[in-house]
Amino acid sequence: MAAEPTRRLMLTAAAAGSLGLAGTLAGCKGITALGPIPAIAPDVVMLEHAIAAEEAMVDRYAAARRQLGGTGSASTTRAASVIAAIWAEHEAHLRQLRAKLILPPRLAKTKIRASREPGPLPDELTGVLAALAADERAAVTRLTTGLLAAPAALAQLMASISASEAAHIVFLRRAGSA
Amino acid sequence: MRAGLDRARGRGARGPRGEVAALQAALAAEEAASYGYGVVGAHLSGQAFSLATSDCVIHERARDNLIAMLSSLGAPPQPAAVAYRLPMAVSTTAQAATLAVDLELSVVAGYLDLVAVGDRSLRRLAASRMQDAASRAARWGGQPEAFPGLASER
Repeated sequence: MAAEPTRRLMLTAAAAGSLGLAGTLAGCKGITALGPIPAIAPDVVMLEHAIAAEEAMVDRYAAARRQLGGTGSASTTRAASVIAAIWAEHEAHLRQLRAKLILPPRLAKTKIRASREPGPLPDELTGVLAALAADERAAVTRLTTGLLAAPAALAQLMASISASEAAHIVFLRRAGSA
Repeated sequence: MRAGLDRARGRGARGPRGEVAALQAALAAEEAASYGYGVVGAHLSGQAFSLATSDCVIHERARDNLIAMLSSLGAPPQPAAVAYRLPMAVSTTAQAATLAVDLELSVVAGYLDLVAVGDRSLRRLAASRMQDAASRAARWGGQPEAFPGLASER
């Protein structure tokens, strides 16, 4: 007899369509008796894209921290501390977005990647800050587009994150002019 | 002055009544900000005063826009309070800037209901105003916030 579907699986199935009932009815033949697992719901895909984009931001800021870590001018040190603070916020965004995703690993067959890998960071500080600001602007646009179709609670989280990332642009600009 | 944040989280304001309530919440935040910037500006001069004036105008326009939207839905806009209790005493330039940060973050929270309504154009408007307010808070010297408007997620 097939194992009782877990609550987590039921939640995921409900999000994916109407699999919750199917899972209950599958009985001895298992869930595959009712055909292939339906496609993941659009809002789950959107959330996975948001997570992938936030992962890319975390990686980008980590690269900037590594790049600026070795140099020691006062302006670079100040900028590095701003970048570290923003990096921590992106980590927090990522944790919150991941917490919204309820998806058993066996249903998450395809790892979603950021649609476009960012190029390498420029060598000089002003270029690094400008590149990060451009990334933030793109993130704000992406989040704004995504939240239009998101469930209410996720839309609020994405809007809050987009507001945070819009403010990052100001912090980066200030770090460059200090 | 800050609106109740947790009250709004996760509540989908679907349907015209939900939209009206969300618009009223945003309006209350804009009215409070319009009042608060009067106090901010009174303690500033020069470029900072000009900045406060232009930010005040932004909030007044947003307020008027929300009033027009509510009226078009047949809902009477909630009138502004005669006066507001400030979250802090303001007697210096630095305190005025701190108040401006607080006002802007209150506006971010004030649009949280509106970003959850069913109407996409209202969602887009709310998100845009949240982003602008968070940017202004940063410009007034606010510290980075990972989840502006969502107090309990900080």
